[in-house]
Amino acid sequence: MSERGSLAHLATTGVQVSIGPFLVHVRSELPLVHTYLETLYADFPLSSAESGHFDIHLLAARGLRRWIRPQANLIVNGERPFLPLPADLAGALFEWTINYCVGRDAHQFVAMHAAVVERNGQALVISGESGAGKSTLCAALVLAGWRLLSDEFALLDPDTGMLSALPRPVSLKNTSIEIIKNRGRDLIFGPEGIDIEDARFVHMKPPASSVRRAAETAAPSVVIFPRWRSGTRTVLAPVRKAQVLLRLADQSFNYNYLGVRGFEAIAGLARRVEGYELEYSDLDDVLPRIAGLCDARARPA
Amino acid sequence: MSSQGSPDYATLARVLREPSQLDRLSPEEVSRLLDAANVARLLGWAVTQCRSAQVAKGAPAWLQDRLRAADAQAAGYERSIRWEIDRLARAFYGTDQRWILLKGAGYVAAGLSPGVGRRVADIDILVPRSDLTRVEGLLREHGWDFPALDPYDERYYREWMHELPPMVHGERKTIADVHHAILPGTSRLHPASGRLFERAVKAGEVFVLCPSHMVLHAAAHLFHDGEIAGAIRDLVDIDQLLRGFARDDSFWQDLLREARTLDLTRPAYYAVSYARRWFGTPVPDDVVRELASWGPPALVDRLMDGLVRRSIASSAGRGSSFAVFALYVRSHWLRMPPLRLAIHLARKTVRPR
Repeated sequence: MSERGSLAHLATTGVQVSIGPFLVHVRSELPLVHTYLETLYADFPLSSAESGHFDIHLLAARGLRRWIRPQANLIVNGERPFLPLPADLAGALFEWTINYCVGRDAHQFVAMHAAVVERNGQALVISGESGAGKSTLCAALVLAGWRLLSDEFALLDPDTGMLSALPRPVSLKNTSIEIIKNRGRDLIFGPEGIDIEDARFVHMKPPASSVRRAAETAAPSVVIFPRWRSGTRTVLAPVRKAQVLLRLADQSFNYNYLGVRGFEAIAGLARRVEGYELEYSDLDDVLPRIAGLCDARARPA
Repeated sequence: MSSQGSPDYATLARVLREPSQLDRLSPEEVSRLLDAANVARLLGWAVTQCRSAQVAKGAPAWLQDRLRAADAQAAGYERSIRWEIDRLARAFYGTDQRWILLKGAGYVAAGLSPGVGRRVADIDILVPRSDLTRVEGLLREHGWDFPALDPYDERYYREWMHELPPMVHGERKTIADVHHAILPGTSRLHPASGRLFERAVKAGEVFVLCPSHMVLHAAAHLFHDGEIAGAIRDLVDIDQLLRGFARDDSFWQDLLREARTLDLTRPAYYAVSYARRWFGTPVPDDVVRELASWGPPALVDRLMDGLVRRSIASSAGRGSSFAVFALYVRSHWLRMPPLRLAIHLARKTVRPR
């Protein structure tokens, strides 16, 4: 396959990966990065162009470090934003680097920390702190046939009010790894690891159909703020628009940079969507309820 | 062919000298220029240059995105400084405390061109020496405090240098540097702070240095950071300040007079002559002649020139690290007596920060 073939330049001049609205130029001599991209990015367009929004170089630490507990170093657009990490996390390091780049540099969008999925033209934004069950819910919806826009970023275009898709491997942590593995068949995962917060994590390959449709934007329709709580029944409570605005602004990486533009973009989104607080423990109960909310929005009143 | 790779300081230096070069850069080169400009805290300058050269026109979509993002970033930098200035003004509101915004924050407050899209890490303010304790108290009341310092660093700041240790705001994590002089107490140069207050000018709700003092302060700090990104930015500031202030006929004579009054003739010589050599800053002939008499012996001048040229033009490649180190030593030479400098460098070498 010609696309796979172009990973051959990964260690030398690098490879340009097209990930949603971004062209990412990545170079790495680390075999784990090669394997990771080969497995989890198998459906992504690749080219040999040496340019892009982000320039990422993942390299092995030199000297003794090459042999004793090897480490991976990271250079992003000429700067080293992180301390070296254990080399066995190199695949995940690629994902974290893209999170860093998008969070730091993607000011053509209002970038918010949220998962986004879509069905019948209705985009569902799932906003929550780490550990709130955002990624679990996102992964379960994707396994149920929703299109994945992103499990980390809601990218809102301030001019059009539409959400851009950034489909990438979905990050799962701790018990949600087994929950999701049990719900799907033929799923492909990257290597499991332990992150710096001591959490077990793994990345799940995104559906090829979502990757193919990465250029399609989606209109925000429903925003939910989930909280997973052991044993609870599903509770969906409406959230007022002003609250939606404040909470999303709070989860935005560049709200401060964008000033009035950022405020107006999020306020515009808050005006158009319905917001809900969600408490849940049972995915089988909550998925149809969420689908119902979005379907109701899709039908003309 | 070199790949996108690292920030390109050589191109940055070239475009700084000749902005028309921007038209000839490839999209990849523009991209690396933006990276270099951001590290050198010149993103606002780069964004302005790219806009007037219409770089986005016909550029690939990814570069247009980068330019849009850089634009928002620069505007965001400036906005956050304006907010920080506003918070400082609030801390001093209702008191009769005299204080002056220095450097980057001063340019932003005064609406000067080096303030456009300015990225400022620390906000520098000048207060009368006798008010240091009071100012420390006012800032503490409004959320600033000292991070824990070891006794050596504490003494370094309070005794040898000319400032309180940097104060960090508890919520915003922004830094305020409170100075009572524009050069360290240990420096061989001692510009009197009283005159800076006498001639300070109002910019909105706050005070900034008068034009001549602003240039002289930037001149005194030229090459003082000991890092090359800072040196590039200082020179750009000086060029832009001189071009702006020169619209006032009396500016040049005032600059010469104040340089003598404040005992900053040598820094004034360096600042104006490097701005001329690097950016072709227009300077009247009689001013050039007067400044020439303030220059160092020819040998020192040639040495300095070589160091500066190598440091700025080389993109941190082979051979430049010595030049950068030499500039670092030189900057501290200006700040400290030789013995103390030797002790300081030894400490910093043994126990790098």
